[in-house]
Amino acid sequence: MKRITMNRRTVLRGMGGAVVALPTLECMLNSHGEALAQGGALPRRYAIVFAGQALGGDAWEHDRYMIGGVRKQEAGHFIAPTTTGTNYTLTTPLKPLEALKSDFNVITGMRIPFSTTSAAPAEVPVGGAFRDFHGGGCSPLISGMRSTSSSFRAEGITSDQVIANLAENKGMTPTPSLVLRAQPSWYLAGSSFAGRQYLSYSAAGKGIESQTNPQTAYNALFSNFTPKGGDAIAVQGFEKRSEQSVLSLIRDRREALLARVSAPDRIRLQEHFDQIRDLENRINAISIDSTATCNKPTDPGSNWPVGSDNAGSGSSEIGTNTGYSDETKRAEAMSDLIAMAFICDLTRVATLQITVFQSHMNVFPISTAMGTPIRADLHEVGHNGDEMNRGQLPVSLMLQWHIKTYARLVDRLKQSKEGAQSVLDSSAIVFMNEAGHGRQLNDAVSLNQTHSVENMQLLVAGRAGGMKPGRHIAATGKHPVQALLGAMKGAGFKGDMLGEVPGPLPDLFA
Amino acid sequence: MQRIDMSVIRMVPTVAGFALLFSACSGNTTDNAGSGGTPGGSTGGTNRPTPPDPDADQIVSSSLARRLSQAEIDATLEDILGDTRRPATRLLNEDEFKPYDNDYLIQKGSQAFTDAMRELSRDVARRAVAEAATRDKFMPCQPSGPDDSTCFKAAVQALGLRFLRRPLSAAEQAPYLKLLAFATEKVPSVTTDFWTSIDLLLRAFIQDPEFLHRVEIGRATSTPGVFALNGYEIASRLSYLLWGSAPDASLLQSAAKDELITESGRSAAFERMMKQPRGRAQISRFHSMWLGYRTIPHPPEVTSRFAAETSKLLETVIFDEPSSYFDIFTSKRTFLTTAGARHYNLPEPVGGEGWVDYGNSGRAGLLSHGAVLAAFSKFSDTSPTQRGIFVRTRLLCETILPPPATVDADQPPGNPDAECKTARYMAHMDQSGCKSCHSQMDPIGFGLENYDIAGRYRETDNGKPQCKIPGQGEVVGIGTFSGPKALAESLVASGQLQACMVRQLLTFALGRELSDDEEPVATKLRTTMKSNGDSFVSLLRTLTTDASFALRRVPEVKP
Repeated sequence: MKRITMNRRTVLRGMGGAVVALPTLECMLNSHGEALAQGGALPRRYAIVFAGQALGGDAWEHDRYMIGGVRKQEAGHFIAPTTTGTNYTLTTPLKPLEALKSDFNVITGMRIPFSTTSAAPAEVPVGGAFRDFHGGGCSPLISGMRSTSSSFRAEGITSDQVIANLAENKGMTPTPSLVLRAQPSWYLAGSSFAGRQYLSYSAAGKGIESQTNPQTAYNALFSNFTPKGGDAIAVQGFEKRSEQSVLSLIRDRREALLARVSAPDRIRLQEHFDQIRDLENRINAISIDSTATCNKPTDPGSNWPVGSDNAGSGSSEIGTNTGYSDETKRAEAMSDLIAMAFICDLTRVATLQITVFQSHMNVFPISTAMGTPIRADLHEVGHNGDEMNRGQLPVSLMLQWHIKTYARLVDRLKQSKEGAQSVLDSSAIVFMNEAGHGRQLNDAVSLNQTHSVENMQLLVAGRAGGMKPGRHIAATGKHPVQALLGAMKGAGFKGDMLGEVPGPLPDLFA
Repeated sequence: MQRIDMSVIRMVPTVAGFALLFSACSGNTTDNAGSGGTPGGSTGGTNRPTPPDPDADQIVSSSLARRLSQAEIDATLEDILGDTRRPATRLLNEDEFKPYDNDYLIQKGSQAFTDAMRELSRDVARRAVAEAATRDKFMPCQPSGPDDSTCFKAAVQALGLRFLRRPLSAAEQAPYLKLLAFATEKVPSVTTDFWTSIDLLLRAFIQDPEFLHRVEIGRATSTPGVFALNGYEIASRLSYLLWGSAPDASLLQSAAKDELITESGRSAAFERMMKQPRGRAQISRFHSMWLGYRTIPHPPEVTSRFAAETSKLLETVIFDEPSSYFDIFTSKRTFLTTAGARHYNLPEPVGGEGWVDYGNSGRAGLLSHGAVLAAFSKFSDTSPTQRGIFVRTRLLCETILPPPATVDADQPPGNPDAECKTARYMAHMDQSGCKSCHSQMDPIGFGLENYDIAGRYRETDNGKPQCKIPGQGEVVGIGTFSGPKALAESLVASGQLQACMVRQLLTFALGRELSDDEEPVATKLRTTMKSNGDSFVSLLRTLTTDASFALRRVPEVKP
């Protein structure tokens, strides 16, 4: 294999309109395939896959549920295994990870602090949750900053953006971070997302808009693959040159327009022109050569219809054809895009919000496909929306559905070789969900509630930075951000705080 | 982060009377370079009207460049190119509704948006040039060959005018002409022709920030910070307010002649615009967002039946048999199909569809419609609290504070063991912490409880004979009532509904919440509307023909 010492950042920075090939990682490896020939470690990847649901059902204990109107008592459905260490039994939500058991840690028993004596904003503890659950739980979970209102708004930068900003990552990939969302619509008649659609924040209150269309994400990432010979190269060249002309026409109008408008409008319009410039840079100036592992994936196609709002406000009257946009296929397509973008080193950081915070996606089509039809939206599954199907198993089945996509991503990275190891070996892939299951945050009294920041969990797959997967770690009472900091450390973060929460969980590396 | 002060400027410290004054943004004193006007001066020769300077007692609102909403992009592309496939709805992220889709203060640029617009522009341009029939809808000429520069230049001019909503200067047009080179390029496996370059031209316009935003610049007036819009900027204001779409050729011609800067010119344009189907559709769209029924939790066949019923009443009262606008709340009849009448258990119309009298059913107007009664529901059923919130916030423009953090509003209220819903909700009234707020909301919903989530009358809760619905309600501060007819009559009698409706329309027109300083503008509009027989069309006419519609203010940016 040809060894070159070309710097990716130089290539990405110094484009100036010329089309240059982005050096593939494969070309840059040393003879052992463990590091770059020019020195330095292999790039590390960091991703968060997110589920907008809790871990159990309101007023149902972890071993109790009802299916088809029949109540049952049965262990093994709540996500936390009963034993710790390597020799644990996979619980219902974790079943999709069976073949990957040695590749991830499940960290359980964590909690976000909150005041049990006061619901006042001023009484929220460091890194803690404002007592109104849905909005209140968001900021401390994803940014480590306490929330002081019911708004869905992170009060600080989120972990993914911290990793994207690391010196070793910044400017090294065409896309600084990939922000994707599988659930395209809010589905609850009469209201809007209002912040529930943000998982990545560049700073306090600065939610990053996610891409919700798989084909748009695909084209943004993979247009630049060098075709396999023949006329295709000329065709691609023509397309690139013509699009370059279109975008440069727009770019060239920038100064004239900005000079004419007022200062506040200049700020607003500049933001758009900057994005046009970034688009121009991303799609026109580099080409990507396929390698043994890095290939242009299959086009996910243009047919992604968006479902209308739920019939029956998300509870038992819910049916088919509403409140669902085939999130199953969308999530799969998006996880495949992330996997290939990581393999090709087109980005090193990604978030995939499969469902949004407080998700009202109709689960009837999904649960029916899983053999246990549940007539409710995801939010109401936890709140006993279906009279006949309630409690731990329905909730765990929906969690399992989310984790299946996570497993798909982890598996793709594991199967992809990078020199002497797999891409997963230099990755930290997190699965996070919105809530735990325990004492209700709102009233601080009721037990076994979905509106809870107790009994929270995190899955972290991969071996980046020396992480040692394969175990169930009971991190009782720890903040979930401490586990997140562990994954961040694996991905190269040298700091010891995210927001207000200190200290990576050492157990991930022990 | 810079903060932008959206409050208004008063021209003089003491204000005797208020002329309505609208405003957007901008900041420099030169004329719009592309408007055909004289830089730094007024837009015309000696026989052309000049835009008025603001009167001393005007209140000047401010606004900023407004990005087109999904619905506006789709309508615009349909009107310019004939594309009916709603590409923005398919490809862009869902708009936030507050409750309108056009709140520009929450709009921001993003990679997701730019990438989606790239896809959208390719998708739309490809379809537009695919066939002669679609091309004829927007092309000003037929090309004589792939390198027909005359026709291409004509297309740049014509499409530039439509997409950027103003004429392009010669200097602005020139760069686009370079795209014609692609029409004659010989590339293996690529078919190039004249339409290759038109495709690229469309993509350039559709992705242009100046297409995607309504940018207003205007001309400085004698009042610092206040600018007079040029004709094209006024044309865009008119068309996006009244049609939710781009100015058409006729409006652009009026703009070119500077007709729209005068009140009489706007009045003539207004009369023409209100006769177009888009005028009616936009009024329906406004109401569906205001009254919350833009989406309701029913299957599509039910939703479309409800929408037809509600639109018919709106159009009848506003356009076809004009009467007091507030008849939409007190109308004694509704237009139904046989299926619709059976749904409500009302007398069936003659001939399969027609007007049906409500008689003494207790129903009247929009508040009896399935569309409106379906909105603001919860847990698959009506929510007395949510219906109370609807009346308080949307019809009376009051503010309802969110529940305290300690309340889990995702749980059905009150005592779960109580069999009847009324008893469960009464728990709100037993707890002092809840009562102070819920007494403002729940009693309103109780008065509508006989009407289910689909607007059907019911005597009992969930079919339980032991749970008879009393159906007695109260709008605290206004009066007691039972049923939609009595509620509508008391709201209209209070005068608060009328004042609120005007504020709602102004919010929609401005694309943001009103500031406190703008209340007098709404008050003035309401007074004028009242003196015009409560005509909704007259309200819109006043709004658009007032001198202030052609003015704007630059908001201050605070560090």
